[in-house]
Amino acid sequence: MTILKTENLSRNFGGLAALDQVSTEFHENEILGIIGPNGAGKTTFINVIAGIYLPTQGRIFFDGQDITELPAHTRCRLGISRTFQLVRPLHGLNLLENIMVGSLFGKGLSQREARKKAEELCEFLGLSNMTRDITRMTALEIKKMEIAHAMATQPKLLFLDEVMAGLSSDETMEMIALVRKIHSRGMTIGIVEHVMRVIRELTHRVVVLDWGQVIAEGAYEQVSNDPRVITAYLGEES
Amino acid sequence: MKGSRYLLYIAVLIILLILPLYTGVYLLNVLDIILIYLALALSWDMLLRSGQISFGMAGLFGVGGYAAALIHLQAGVSPLLSIVLGGLTAGFLACLIGMAVLQLRGMYFAIVTLALAEIFRVIIRNFPDLTGGPEGTILPSAIFAGNSTKTYWLVLAVAVISVIGSEIFRKTRIHFALTSIRNDEIVAKSSGINVFKYMVFIFAVTSAIQGITGGAYAHIYGFVSPEGSFSLNFTLLPIAMTLLGGMHSTWGSVVGAVLLGVVSEFLKLQIPYGHLLVYGIIIVITILFFPQGIVGTIGQRLKKR
Repeated sequence: MTILKTENLSRNFGGLAALDQVSTEFHENEILGIIGPNGAGKTTFINVIAGIYLPTQGRIFFDGQDITELPAHTRCRLGISRTFQLVRPLHGLNLLENIMVGSLFGKGLSQREARKKAEELCEFLGLSNMTRDITRMTALEIKKMEIAHAMATQPKLLFLDEVMAGLSSDETMEMIALVRKIHSRGMTIGIVEHVMRVIRELTHRVVVLDWGQVIAEGAYEQVSNDPRVITAYLGEES
Repeated sequence: MKGSRYLLYIAVLIILLILPLYTGVYLLNVLDIILIYLALALSWDMLLRSGQISFGMAGLFGVGGYAAALIHLQAGVSPLLSIVLGGLTAGFLACLIGMAVLQLRGMYFAIVTLALAEIFRVIIRNFPDLTGGPEGTILPSAIFAGNSTKTYWLVLAVAVISVIGSEIFRKTRIHFALTSIRNDEIVAKSSGINVFKYMVFIFAVTSAIQGITGGAYAHIYGFVSPEGSFSLNFTLLPIAMTLLGGMHSTWGSVVGAVLLGVVSEFLKLQIPYGHLLVYGIIIVITILFFPQGIVGTIGQRLKKR
């Protein structure tokens, strides 16, 4: 079953094609890795799917519905959620309240229900001291909070944009286990990552982007031996 | 704990209600002015919680005042009802304008609101048949025939409505929406918040409060004029009050309005027109040394312990 499908998806910024004719599919309940060198268009891809940018060209289908023209908040309510590459915590709200925002608006829960949901997610992700001010949290905890915030909308499709960046190797191990745990709750996950070990251990399939184009697609072992992928990462042999 | 807090509120409200029994007319008049500015300060802060700064309070205050006065004069509607209708007029107008200008943010939005206030004033000046033009319009009598106790109750009601409105903004999901929007609109959108809808909604609600306040002011003094009803004071003073008391809270604006209101009354007697200078100094000192305002700074100190 396909949950998300893009057809010739393109997005230009001025003369630069950040996404160029991307046609790909996400299967239900898979963990899909989105990799590529810096500036390949990975985050733009997430932004266009989530509705932060509208595509210059092409169409997006989610759960059988054409969502190309829908605004971001509607897409969230339909079940697309994401974390951000650079963490964006909400100041003025504490840990629990940050997470509550997701289910209050993404799922339309009442404050009481949203609080319960947020507490459950804190426990699930191992966040303690739930009414803490967010200025008193570590980088790892903030990342977990953002994941909880995204999960609180109860998405069918969750994008994790470089959640491992800046973590120590122990923390990375913990995060890998956590992503597995999240996946076992039954959702499709799109994961953007530079750490190849993470991609190798977690993903069922990988899409490789370079200059906004899909240059390879398939299982990690297969893709990582693709000469075009190696060229994209390491450059041409001279 | 929660129950005792409500008891405290009720006690304060009762004291405020029976105050006219023990005070003279002069003090009531001072209180009227303080409460009017308090409502404006709160309405400004309520919009500020979304991250947007409005300089248009005087405009919507004036629109509410003119609407209330003219509805009363032309349609013979009772003063009280016309005040409510004045507020609704301002709210409705803000809703329409908001749909056009609420794509703007930050400085651009602020400048547009400042311009709007001026546009309303110019329009009203140029329809003398309806509005009385530059000379303004005098109502046949002040509301409640100038009875200072009833007038005070009216203004108190307006202030209480804004306090309740502000608390609703603090305690319901609106609080989560506004705080998210203020922090980061992309995060807000990605969490399912319809940012534009919320912005139009709060702009309309805060403008309606400003309109009701303007309506009450018009009926209390029985007079509306382009210069008086759209005076820049109705924009600048409330901002100074909220900054002094503390942003993003109900009690900050309340404390700021009471303090600055009392100080201004005192200064008017001591150094006429010098009070504006003192406001300026107070704002500068606040922003430089305790940008959180009085309530915010105290709150932080308590938290640190």
